[in-house]
Amino acid sequence: MAQIRILLADDHNILRDGMRLLLERQPGFLVVGEAADGRETLQLAQDQSPDVVIMDIAMPNMNGIEATRRIVEKHPKIGVVILSMHHDESYVIRSLKAGARAYLLKDALKTELISAIHAVVEGRSFFSPKVSRILQEDYIQALGRKDADDSYELLTGREREILQMVAEGKTNKEVANTLSLSLYTVDTHRTHILQKLNLHSVPELILYAVRKGIIS
Amino acid sequence: MIPVFCSRFYLREVWFRPAAELPPHAVHYTGGRMRQRPGVVLVAGFGGLLLIMAAAEVGTLLFLNGLRHNDTTLQARFLSRNRTLERIRSNIYLSGTFVRDSLLAPEQSGAQAQLAALDGLRRDSERALASYAAALEPEEAAPFQDLRAQIDAYWKVLDRTFAWTADERGKYRYAFFYEELVPRRTSMLQIADRIEALNEDALRRGGVKLGDLFGRLQLGLLAMIAVTLLGGVTLAALTIFHILKLEGEVQRRLNESVLSEASLQELSARLVRAQEEERRALSRELHDEIAQAFSAVLMEAENLLDLDPAPEVRAHLDSIRGVAEKGMNEIRNMALLLRPSMLDDFGLLPALEWQAREIGKRTGLRVRVSSEMHGELPEEHKICVYRVVQEALNNCAQHAQASAAQVSVRHADGQIVVTVQDDGSGFDPERVRGLGLLGMEERARHLGGTFHIDSRPGRGTVLRVALPRDVAPQEPEPSTELLWTGVPYGADSHLAG
Repeated sequence: MAQIRILLADDHNILRDGMRLLLERQPGFLVVGEAADGRETLQLAQDQSPDVVIMDIAMPNMNGIEATRRIVEKHPKIGVVILSMHHDESYVIRSLKAGARAYLLKDALKTELISAIHAVVEGRSFFSPKVSRILQEDYIQALGRKDADDSYELLTGREREILQMVAEGKTNKEVANTLSLSLYTVDTHRTHILQKLNLHSVPELILYAVRKGIIS
Repeated sequence: MIPVFCSRFYLREVWFRPAAELPPHAVHYTGGRMRQRPGVVLVAGFGGLLLIMAAAEVGTLLFLNGLRHNDTTLQARFLSRNRTLERIRSNIYLSGTFVRDSLLAPEQSGAQAQLAALDGLRRDSERALASYAAALEPEEAAPFQDLRAQIDAYWKVLDRTFAWTADERGKYRYAFFYEELVPRRTSMLQIADRIEALNEDALRRGGVKLGDLFGRLQLGLLAMIAVTLLGGVTLAALTIFHILKLEGEVQRRLNESVLSEASLQELSARLVRAQEEERRALSRELHDEIAQAFSAVLMEAENLLDLDPAPEVRAHLDSIRGVAEKGMNEIRNMALLLRPSMLDDFGLLPALEWQAREIGKRTGLRVRVSSEMHGELPEEHKICVYRVVQEALNNCAQHAQASAAQVSVRHADGQIVVTVQDDGSGFDPERVRGLGLLGMEERARHLGGTFHIDSRPGRGTVLRVALPRDVAPQEPEPSTELLWTGVPYGADSHLAG
């Protein structure tokens, strides 16, 4: 099995060193570069063509979210794992919108980091349990606050199934194959799901799924 | 060395200090002295002036009255003396006539009747003379004495004729009449004329004296007018001078207070800005450095755990992990409380929504945030709105016991209008003016905005802040090390809240 090429982007040397040590001890992981700011990250992503970028948000010379957006735009194959201090949903949703697939907090355990790297390589999403929990709590509170009906109840069983698969990062084609449905049918389901939940994009859908505890 | 140091320090201090804090002796050199004296001076001055005028007027009136009285007396005396003289004179004439008639009378009885009438005249003349003598001018004494002697002699001469028989009368009458009576009468009348002339002299002298008195009165009046005019002008000048001085003082104090208020405001604005800067820097420092250090500790602990250490070491490492994790969370929360990073990273609305969620988690207050904003706000406006909403929501939760609050930020008439409405217990804004409210008002005023509170006990509270939109921020935004591009302000508002 080919090694997973990893690019570390964080402006704190000590953290990068620790992470490199941690990751290189894992079989199959190879740290191909370290960047201390956003622009350097873009450059190294271009030069080293890593599989995964582990990205801090707060960095000088272009923050991690913008760097993520540019990398994913140019190299859609690269999976971005955000490793940040922030756990507020405003950071999570912007990261997802920029194209990150995983969101970890900096107190993440080694196992979480490894799981996240594997998940993004496989095209799935991953969130720190802590992030999931905070998002879910916020969501429950928001529901109580608005006295709104839980729109999840509006979804059919099939739609819920598809929601989970899309949120996990599966493409329409994968969903269609798994469920033995036509591509067109899956697409129609997706549209209905977004309409019923009043969502507008896949990142929003992923965040929704995390908040609902459908994925983690 | 030290004094030089101190003085330089002092200079810098003074230079920075607003006018209101300058040494006190420069500010009020006029103490209580000025406050008491002018009143006394004014009362004394104006009172004195009025007294002088009143006294002068009363004096003049009395004087005039006296003059008029004098004049009347003089005239009356003159007339009465004149009349008396006339009486004497006419008596003398009449006596002549009576004597002539008695001398011409053929009968003794007719002559007796004339003589009786003559006797009446004589007595009347005596009375007149006595009355004239009662008020004799000194210069009249000699001629009057003359007249009296003449008249006495005259009567004595006349007496002689009484005894005459009809024959004697016929025989002597011409001689007596023309040689005795007429010359005597003429000389008496001349004396009377002299006395009359003297009487007229007395009248004239009285007139002159009156004229003198009038002249003196005129002089006195002139002097009085001069004195009062001078006093009045002096007093008016003093008063005007004092009023101008007071006015100057008032103006100066007004200027001072305006100036000091302005510098106070400037100071408080500077303080607020400095505080925000400090908070931002501190928040960043905590977040980016201290928390990162904790996360590095965590990472290193993980690395050690990876080496498969002895159980005892593993326990210690777990403990280290626990402490570091706790520390990291604390630091992160502290940084957020100091200044939410979303405000700088994403803009106002995400920060407000975070604030709404936070206060909801902490107190159970349900907060809805709605926004109709386009474009980025200047830094100062952003922080002003954020802090006002933060304070208002804290008030809602802590003091108003509200269960729900509504935050709205929108553009209206070229202004940014922020309202925070709650369903809490409300209060009387006329009475309650806490530091929090003052702080909000102060922040709004620094940006040229208005602050308004509508609340009544039991009716909830609506707080409204309006900031002029087109005011350029007072300082250019410091270049941050972060470049947040491509994340439009409030782009995800529908996701939150």
